[in-house]
Amino acid sequence: MTAARPIVEARGLWKRYGDVAAVDGIDFSVGEGELFGLLGPNGAGKTTTISMLACLIAPTSGTIVVDGHDCLTEPMAVKRTLGIVPQEVALYPTLSAAQNLAFWGRMYGLRGASLRSAVDEALELVGLAERAHERIERYSGGMKRRVNIAAGILHRPRVLLMDEPTVGIDPQSRNHILETVRRLNDDGVTVVYTSHYMEEVEALCDRVAIMDHGKIIASGTVRELSDLVGGLDVITVVADGASEADAAALKGCEGIAEADVSDDGLRLLAPRGGSALASVVRMLEGRGVRIRSLTVTEPDLESVFLHLTGKTLRD
Amino acid sequence: MGALLRIAAKDLAVLVRDKAAVLVMLAMPLGLVFILGSALGPSAGAGFDAKVAIVDLDSGPAGTRFVEGILAAEGLDEVFDIEVRSDVGEVRRDVSRGDLQAALVIPDGVSEAVAVGAPAVLEVLQDPGSQIAAGMWAGVARATASAASAEIVARRVVAQQALSRGTTPPVDLAPIVVSIEDTEVDTASRISAVGYYTAGMTGMFLLFGAMFGAFAFVRERREQTFMRMIAAPVPAWAIVGGKATGVLLATVGQFVVLLAGTSALFGVRWGAHPAAAVAVGVAESACAAGLAMVLAGIGTSERSIGAIAPAVIMLFAATGGAMLPVEALPAALRPLQVVSPVYWAVQGFLDVMRGASWAEVSTNVATLSGMAVVFLTFGIWRVSRR
Repeated sequence: MTAARPIVEARGLWKRYGDVAAVDGIDFSVGEGELFGLLGPNGAGKTTTISMLACLIAPTSGTIVVDGHDCLTEPMAVKRTLGIVPQEVALYPTLSAAQNLAFWGRMYGLRGASLRSAVDEALELVGLAERAHERIERYSGGMKRRVNIAAGILHRPRVLLMDEPTVGIDPQSRNHILETVRRLNDDGVTVVYTSHYMEEVEALCDRVAIMDHGKIIASGTVRELSDLVGGLDVITVVADGASEADAAALKGCEGIAEADVSDDGLRLLAPRGGSALASVVRMLEGRGVRIRSLTVTEPDLESVFLHLTGKTLRD
Repeated sequence: MGALLRIAAKDLAVLVRDKAAVLVMLAMPLGLVFILGSALGPSAGAGFDAKVAIVDLDSGPAGTRFVEGILAAEGLDEVFDIEVRSDVGEVRRDVSRGDLQAALVIPDGVSEAVAVGAPAVLEVLQDPGSQIAAGMWAGVARATASAASAEIVARRVVAQQALSRGTTPPVDLAPIVVSIEDTEVDTASRISAVGYYTAGMTGMFLLFGAMFGAFAFVRERREQTFMRMIAAPVPAWAIVGGKATGVLLATVGQFVVLLAGTSALFGVRWGAHPAAAVAVGVAESACAAGLAMVLAGIGTSERSIGAIAPAVIMLFAATGGAMLPVEALPAALRPLQVVSPVYWAVQGFLDVMRGASWAEVSTNVATLSGMAVVFLTFGIWRVSRR
């Protein structure tokens, strides 16, 4: 729970498609002015949750209240409170950034001088004021993403829903977007931020809910979540030919709490990572695994997810 | 209402930047009107000018009389460029090459045959590639031969009567005169090929606005701009209405450009009641808006709509008289005309070109409007289910 006044509250939220539960009975609340993260792998139910918050799809059951307005009974009031940044670049490629923003501003009731100043401010905020009159189709992927955010904040929403806003862009644009999100939050905008990038959520969010298979499997501050793994260090082994059998063998090793196969090797949790390295190396070499690198890091959300689900966020 | 119009205006702004849409909706109909109109009908004011020849191999009085009779015929020189030639081989070659459309050959011995009352045969050489001109020249030759035969019979009758009375027959009769009588017909209600294809192509291509409207709809769904619109505080009816109104405005604009373009470029006369033409055009544009909703409701992607829409529109066009006059359709297909918006539009445009007033095309306008309502109702129902 949060100490700030809840501005978004979801209770008993379900969304079913036939026999499949895309969202499986979740509860959460977001405090006013909070930067709240929904972390989970692709298919965890984050986008479905965001879509229900934005009144785009109706929940199978449960309630959503935004700023005192129920999504089902007062959708227009909820929509006026919200800004949304969809996962895709939801813009018209043959129109300029300024034309796109002017259109979206009008959809939220902005007119005349207030519309023009809102467009200018939004473009200034995302660092694209000088290219306002270029067609979107001529922008790089990162610049399109930034205009996509500008379209969501034009009308100064009290709550901004951002669905994976940094997918598929270069590090420089990602940093710019993360900085923009921080500035918006500093200005008092409540942000609900979904991502499967653990580092982003960890760096940005005050509180995080971790989702998997439609359920929230843990929530709290990053510190609180890290404590769930008991302060375990993460040992990342980049190795050729590591298998599930190697991971199972390592789990039996003294000083190793968890072991799992990752994309490029193995990922281990240990109470004292540095001390466990020697036995890890011996065990893997004895099993014929060729180690290319070994790193030990402090506990993070990735280790929390691994601890709770037995898999990595990218699985 | 404000949101509806803003969505429509945005769709228009997107459409006019779409080069493919501009090409299909404006350049193609104007190009086809020019090509089909030029190929299938003479341009206004152009005369009929056929080059023909006479070869007199007889050199007797009968042959001379034929040649003189044709050359003296009043009005023939306005239709034919007539040459008197002597080398029949050269004339045959010129006809076979198409340098001459036809030739009349008077063979040697015709005068002798006529003198003894034996049959005389004239030959008409015709270029198969110039059937109209060659046929007309053959008709002139037959008329001349008939007149000559009548003269010969008359001479004999007169001579026999003179002989039976014991008097002297007259030395000569009046010369044969073959002439062409000009009868001017009323062409006020006649529509040139360019005019016909202006009506046809306009009727057909206005519906292509529906295809681009449906493209825009599925593109908005794919690129999540549609989702973003739904997330805005805008009622669903304004979004769907805005999309349909965008197509309506685009096709009305297309119609105005085609109307002005065909008038300015090809001299098409849209009749004395332009408001009637606009009424038919707007009613068909409403059909296009409804058809756009139907296509957006049944098509899942631009590819599927790109396959369905041209097939449907071409079927409407073929049965509706956009390509060929509806009278040319097999009787079994004619009942399909009544369900083709192109038919009601093309017939309306043609009637307007013939001078029909608004009241005289009201049936067309009402039928097109009814079709628009049906399309819109079905299309919006389909779209809303998605």
